[in-house]
Amino acid sequence: MLRDITLGQYYPIDSPVHRLDPRIKILLTMAFIVCVFLVGSPLGYLPIAAYLAWATWMARLPAKMMLRSMRPLRILLIFTFVLNLFFGTGDTELLRLGFIRVTQEGLYNAIHFSLRLIFLVIGSSLLTLTTPPVTLTDGLESLVSPLKVIKFPAHEMAMMMTIALRFIPTLAEEADKIMKAQSARGADFTSGSLKQRAQALIPLLVPLFVSAFRRAGDLAMAMESRCYRGGEGRTRLHVLKTGRKDWLAVASIAVLYAVVLLMARYV
Amino acid sequence: MPITLEKLSHTYQEGSPFQATALHDINLTIQDGELLALIGHTGSGKSTLAQHLNGLLKPTAGRVLLDGQDINQKDADRRALRFRVGLVFQYPEHQLFEETVRKDIGFGPRNMGLSEQEVEQRVHEAMDKTGLVYDEVGEKSPFELSGGQMRRVALAGVLAMKPDILVLDEPTAGLDPRARDFLLSDIARLHREGTTVVMISHSMDDVARLATRVAVLEKGRLVMEGPPGDIFTQVDRLTAMGLDVPQASKLRHELEAEGIVLPPCYLLDDLADHLAHRLKGGAADAT
Ligand SMILES: Nc1ncnc2c1ncn2[C@@H]1O[C@H](COP(=O)(O)OP(=O)(O)OP(=O)(O)O)[C@@H](O)[C@H]1O
Ligand SMILES: [Mg+2]
Repeated sequence: MLRDITLGQYYPIDSPVHRLDPRIKILLTMAFIVCVFLVGSPLGYLPIAAYLAWATWMARLPAKMMLRSMRPLRILLIFTFVLNLFFGTGDTELLRLGFIRVTQEGLYNAIHFSLRLIFLVIGSSLLTLTTPPVTLTDGLESLVSPLKVIKFPAHEMAMMMTIALRFIPTLAEEADKIMKAQSARGADFTSGSLKQRAQALIPLLVPLFVSAFRRAGDLAMAMESRCYRGGEGRTRLHVLKTGRKDWLAVASIAVLYAVVLLMARYV
Repeated sequence: MPITLEKLSHTYQEGSPFQATALHDINLTIQDGELLALIGHTGSGKSTLAQHLNGLLKPTAGRVLLDGQDINQKDADRRALRFRVGLVFQYPEHQLFEETVRKDIGFGPRNMGLSEQEVEQRVHEAMDKTGLVYDEVGEKSPFELSGGQMRRVALAGVLAMKPDILVLDEPTAGLDPRARDFLLSDIARLHREGTTVVMISHSMDDVARLATRVAVLEKGRLVMEGPPGDIFTQVDRLTAMGLDVPQASKLRHELEAEGIVLPPCYLLDDLADHLAHRLKGGAADAT
């Protein structure tokens, strides 16, 4: 139930992509996103698609997983396609139905922008599917830590994100349990008018808040009793390391850039 | 109104990489009026099984029958079922939410659609049964109470629905010995008065004292089932599963290893009787 949505997207297997340095992976994903925007025509997405297929294969992810990551966006995707198709500018008319007209440029744009959206989503889910959320925040912390010189609280931000991420599944599990316990007393969360449903949430929300505050208090106590005082001078258990495979990954994206840019110019 | 589990299996998050099978092929019938204790190692699937009894979880395979009717049929009234099979979760005090104890206990009856008068009546009865004094705590916030009292409020909240079958998931976990004894005697009384009880417990002495039948789960399978006398005499087998045995069984077992063989027993009183008998007999022999 609630548990399904909470573990994030992370797909827990071992692969060369899973083992990449998270910092490199974040940067590569950003580079990939930029690269998708450099593509000038639908045909230019071929190398992008090939690259993603290769990365998915390297990450040992089932193609099904990748397609599933598209699901939340299907409405947006349909919108993008339909809007571009029916309300595009241009003169070469292909079809006319009353006030709706489909032009060649419209069709071209519809395909172009939909493909762009698809590849952006798949590219970024490759990051979230192969990196546990906590590792991701570690990587982010390390990437933004140069900003500490201008007093940007990099460590605190990362710690907050880590704790939030850590507690999402816990709280979701708790919510699931409380919901079940109240259903056992005949609470009904799924039917009734909007007002009734909002009221039905009280027996869920009150215990959930009580428990969240209790947990927050316990956690603060546990951290303090282990002498936590912020990031200053704190060493890490898992030190992020950049190795040969990371540079290979960087090289692969450089190749992708070369191909995409060449195609944009000559095809 | 017996509950029958027929080839019940349950897999959490089926089809995802996190899928975990918590119950395998369980066949078990809960008879009217019995006090069935469900024991097993942590993670053996006890809570999962309990949640099938009132339809909170649906079996991934197999059926749950109440009075011969599949409770997960499409047209089954699942809410009515929950009023008949009362489930008290582990740490039930974590689900209290109302401003006053009285209102919290009345939550179930109110959901049943009873009149305010009936609700009030049931709250009184449920508080009596759980040893809570209405005039003392009725108007207090449940969050002001002690842990043991909160546990009773939660139990009263389920009893107020007057279920025919009461399912208790580790009702005594985390209570001090006094609060525990109180709660256990409440449960024993409810059972005597005719409620069918299913109790999950890690305390074998409690189980030995109260249960009329014991079912043992191991890694999601039902591995032993029978009257406590049959289960708790198999000390080696239970120990091999990482389970405790009642103190009397343990002592009897250790005496046996020393060559002192007593008749089978699992209650301290019985063991004391057997020992006294033997000592007297021994004394008679010596003179
Ligand atoms: N919501 C859930 N999602 C996935 N797996 C679960 C879920 N709830 C329980 N499990 C798993 O199912 C198995 C059985 O859990 P269950 O809670 O029924 O055990 P239990 O016998 O009640 O244990 P305990 O004595 O610790 O209460 C465990 O391996 C557990 O990890
Ligand atoms: Mg349990």
